[in-house]
Amino acid sequence: MTMKVDPSVKWSGPTRPYDLIKELAVAVLVIGLLAAGLSFLFSSPDEKAVTLKSWAQTNPVDFAQTATGELAGTTTSASYGPPYNKAASGQHFGILKLQDWSGVRIPINPAKSFVLNPLASYNDVAGQDAVVTWNAATADQQTAWATGYADALGKAKDATAVADPSNLYGPVPTLITSLLNMAKGGALDGSLLTSDSTLPTNFTKPLLFLADSEGYFAAKAEEQHLGGGQWGVMNETGSWPGQSWLWLFSFWYQVDPFKSSDNADTLVMLLMGLFTLLLALVPVLPVIRKIPYKIPIHRLIWKDWYNKKL
Amino acid sequence: MYLAAIFNLDHPAHYFSVGPFSISAGNATIILVMVAIFTLALFLPFPHGKGDKK
Repeated sequence: MTMKVDPSVKWSGPTRPYDLIKELAVAVLVIGLLAAGLSFLFSSPDEKAVTLKSWAQTNPVDFAQTATGELAGTTTSASYGPPYNKAASGQHFGILKLQDWSGVRIPINPAKSFVLNPLASYNDVAGQDAVVTWNAATADQQTAWATGYADALGKAKDATAVADPSNLYGPVPTLITSLLNMAKGGALDGSLLTSDSTLPTNFTKPLLFLADSEGYFAAKAEEQHLGGGQWGVMNETGSWPGQSWLWLFSFWYQVDPFKSSDNADTLVMLLMGLFTLLLALVPVLPVIRKIPYKIPIHRLIWKDWYNKKL
Repeated sequence: MYLAAIFNLDHPAHYFSVGPFSISAGNATIILVMVAIFTLALFLPFPHGKGDKK
């Protein structure tokens, strides 16, 4: 049954006075006191910033391996695809190639952006000469040097450099050692932050480089329960409560097929989009619209009104 | 100068885990408090203003 309401007819049902200003004043006061009181009692997270400097100083082996991976083109950012490069078409769902459609809007070549360009402006003659040697080589030669050195570093395990008496790795050992020194002193943070602008406000490059680290950055995230497979989106550093309202987004990443899918982000966003659509369409969905009649929580909220009706 | 918080939460959190589910003690506390406030709001009598006609 549908009921047509004429908007020009004055409301003839019951009315009650309502002091909106009073409610606003009370709400601001109560929330203000709560915020100040809880801040006083519990303070707030103040985690020390993770930087390329802290990475190079804390785990130089992982730094050297990751930097070599950038030269070899084997890191996550080197093979990510849009918006950074065309190395892959990225996440998709059927004919929906969302990542590919976004295009390369923030062009980043990890080898150049994270290793070669910073070293070219760093005050280390050996490093600068190594950049010249690298740039003069063919792409195949560069790949052979970098992948060979990545393998050697992987076998050496706890070493930040491997001796190269036969010159199998070309300028790569010098590049990596020089970059490690640059990072340890903090110059690499400054270089990546100011490579596109004089104002150090764009953290894209240092964050991408850090995110390629598996032994330092990923391990740090796992340690704090911030990993994708640990409901990390919901969590906060330390023991503070996090973003618990993101539980449903986070849930899908914990179960298959999303958990093991390369397109997990796209699948989860599409699924949540569908759920949001269903929520918006509740009033017109045949079975769902009857739920309030079966579970009448609204009758509890407006019990005065329903009691009077009875 | 920094004033230390009365309750220090700057230490690793405790997590409750069952199967694929995992929740920190902080998040669980907030959710339980929200449910408690909602339940109280359902059953506590609504305050009536002076001019409210019954």
